Amino acid sequence: MSDAFRSSTARDDASSSASSPSDRLNGLLQRVALKDREAFAQLYAATSSKLYGTVLRILRHRGWTDDVVQDAYVRIWQKAGQFDAAKASSITWMVTIARNGAIDELRRHPARRVEREEALDDVASVEPTAQARLETEQDARRLHACLDELEKGRRDMVRLAYLDGWSRADLATHFDQPVNTVKTWLHRALKQLKGCLSS
Amino acid sequence: MTDHDDLDMRAAEFVLGTLDAHERESVAYRRQHDTELDALIRAWESRLAPLGDEVQAITPGPDLLARIERRIEQMEADTEEARVVRLRRRLRYWQWGTGLATAAALVMALLLVTPLGREATAPPFVAVFHQDDQQPAFMLTVDLASQRLNVQPVAAEPLPDKSYQLWIKADPLGPDPRSVGVLNDDLSLDPGALSHYEPELLKNATFGISVEPAGGSPTGQPTGPAIHGYLYPTEHHL
Repeated sequence: MSDAFRSSTARDDASSSASSPSDRLNGLLQRVALKDREAFAQLYAATSSKLYGTVLRILRHRGWTDDVVQDAYVRIWQKAGQFDAAKASSITWMVTIARNGAIDELRRHPARRVEREEALDDVASVEPTAQARLETEQDARRLHACLDELEKGRRDMVRLAYLDGWSRADLATHFDQPVNTVKTWLHRALKQLKGCLSS
Repeated sequence: MTDHDDLDMRAAEFVLGTLDAHERESVAYRRQHDTELDALIRAWESRLAPLGDEVQAITPGPDLLARIERRIEQMEADTEEARVVRLRRRLRYWQWGTGLATAAALVMALLLVTPLGREATAPPFVAVFHQDDQQPAFMLTVDLASQRLNVQPVAAEPLPDKSYQLWIKADPLGPDPRSVGVLNDDLSLDPGALSHYEPELLKNATFGISVEPAGGSPTGQPTGPAIHGYLYPTEHHL
């Protein structure tokens, strides 16, 4: 029986309890690729708070975030057929679409973003949710172990860039360094991370 | 620094988000043709993804899903795909309405239709039925102007002691499907079987083919696993 026509929510709940969250998302994406609107609504319910949180943290403006998250889900709807479970996890694929949209927006309209000097505190204080941790626990542990090996200033740079969307110029201002120095530090930090993760 | 290192750092900074707008565009464009760059970007995406676990999940406003769905509907309104979306909705509607939701072998059908009122150059209306969304089961050709049909099996084969039966369902006909006819043993059907239906009704109808006991449904309603379809335009400018 074709999954595209399985529209009973009860049945979906029953089947999802037997499989992992990422299996469930993969299945929903396959159905979305077939233009299944109910699967899309379920996919949205399962992932929108993650995508919204990701984009809002970068843009820090609800209306702007609404627009970018809307575009992200339209793209997910259009590109679901291109998702390849062998190449990426479904949630990473979706978050990447939303993050790319947010960072593109921010780089095009940097003036639209309000003051964000408080961001550094957020980076230090926010703990990952238990559920998010579980999904990629092993990868997360390795990445955080490798981040911990970085010198603190560089670790903060990586997190501020990735999580808060800071540009090289933002980082240069905050760390009181020339932009080229920031670029060099970033490259060193990224290479060190890559080396640590592959060891 | 080697070229590969350079490329890898561009990929890394693309994913990290620290490139400027112009550099981002250039990388996004190049990765479409440069498989090495694309692979490097994907590798960095999965390397750094666990950082995102730190982000606090925040529930969007209650209206956002409806907004997104409206946007998708608008976007597809003028495309053929919109017909597919409607098709699927109709399929479910019919499944539920006739108690066929548990049918074991649902088969999907796309019916391709040309615009009404076009002259002799107009091609006939063609229906392609996809079994399990993959295997074409039947093709149905309908000429709306003369209301003549032609059913052709593609992957579908005659079943021992069973008959295929074609059904039509449309709002003006009430909630239940009506039989168009039982397919012959060679899976053909009387070409005039749709002749008393208005073209406009045909254009908006749902069609179904069900597997029935030999000779057709004993109840006057589909009783077996069903194959459904909806008229689908072949032309963009419908």
